[in-house]
Amino acid sequence: MGNKTKIKIDYSICGDGYKVDPRNCGKCLRICPPALFLLHQTLGVEQKNPYDPEVWRITPLYPSLCTRCLECVGICPEKAITITW
Amino acid sequence: MCDHCLKHGTAGKWYLNAKNYSNEIVEEYNLREFLLEQYTNFEQMSVRKLNGFNAVGLGYKMQMPIIGRVVKHFAEQMLMSTKPPTDPFKAEGHIGQVVPLDDAIAILEHCAVEPIIQKYCMCRYMSRGDKEACCINFGVMSEIIEKLPRFIPVNEKFQLTRDEAIERFKEHNKKGYIGTIWYGPYPYINNLCSCANPECAGIRPRMDFGITSIFKAEYIVHINPDECTGCKSCLSRCQFGAISYDPFEKRCIVNQKQCYGCGVCLHVCKYDALKIFPRNDFPELRGKY
Repeated sequence: MGNKTKIKIDYSICGDGYKVDPRNCGKCLRICPPALFLLHQTLGVEQKNPYDPEVWRITPLYPSLCTRCLECVGICPEKAITITW
Repeated sequence: MCDHCLKHGTAGKWYLNAKNYSNEIVEEYNLREFLLEQYTNFEQMSVRKLNGFNAVGLGYKMQMPIIGRVVKHFAEQMLMSTKPPTDPFKAEGHIGQVVPLDDAIAILEHCAVEPIIQKYCMCRYMSRGDKEACCINFGVMSEIIEKLPRFIPVNEKFQLTRDEAIERFKEHNKKGYIGTIWYGPYPYINNLCSCANPECAGIRPRMDFGITSIFKAEYIVHINPDECTGCKSCLSRCQFGAISYDPFEKRCIVNQKQCYGCGVCLHVCKYDALKIFPRNDFPELRGKY
């Protein structure tokens, strides 16, 4: 199995915390070479406000594809992404 | 698609059967509400749990010894389901196939039901945050997209005529986007997309995780060794990594087992060395979708 890459996004800064709307930023989405992030409505997912389709967040969907280039960590204006392995 | 095409297609191709595009299917399966619900929540489909399982960290789940195979089995069974769809949050019967330019034109000319629209690609939006109008929808699907403002192109035409749709598709194909046609859900065909790897949510499971979520085209690209000069311009076009350069022979070669038959490499060859042939002409590749 090897060592897994763990990508964490701090949702109190990005997304549900309302400070930054990921739809207007989306810098990590664009820079990621394997495009492993997913931008989606938060409806039905475990969260603060479960039934609001107007709230969007970014989920690192396929961390196994991560090349550990750390571009997303560097480009995030709010420093919300941490990557560990 | 094998026996499926023989049952449902014309000339061995399921997507050239005009019956699969008709509005009667929509009424029969009551798909209007289903599709509206599905496309309202489209982006969150991979994070929503189905039977206690979602696609987050799919790569790691696939690597697990037994669970990986179970996941693959159930995912493929869901995508290739031919039963009437029940849950709009599942991608049931949502299977597609790569189509080269000529077949796509045939679809738009003869099969697609009016109204024809173009919409923002949801895959690109959810994986890159960018909006690009490169999906073409037909029939009832067009009416559903009308109700979802986030997919409606701004500063671009929304409703297209047949000729405009063909023009748009040609443009995308020349840019290097792969033409794909989708059941959504089976047996209703409503989507002609111009996809790109790795953004496409349909190509990705097959390329990265080995889940057959899209079938290869009915065609295969072949390079004429006498006409290829080894300029390598086709090399960068292949999104499936099927073309490579042989430095000893000084020409490009196609790995036909890896070729999806999308034909986007044909547009860049200045010497007409690349040609597209029916898959059935190659006994080795027959039936290998």
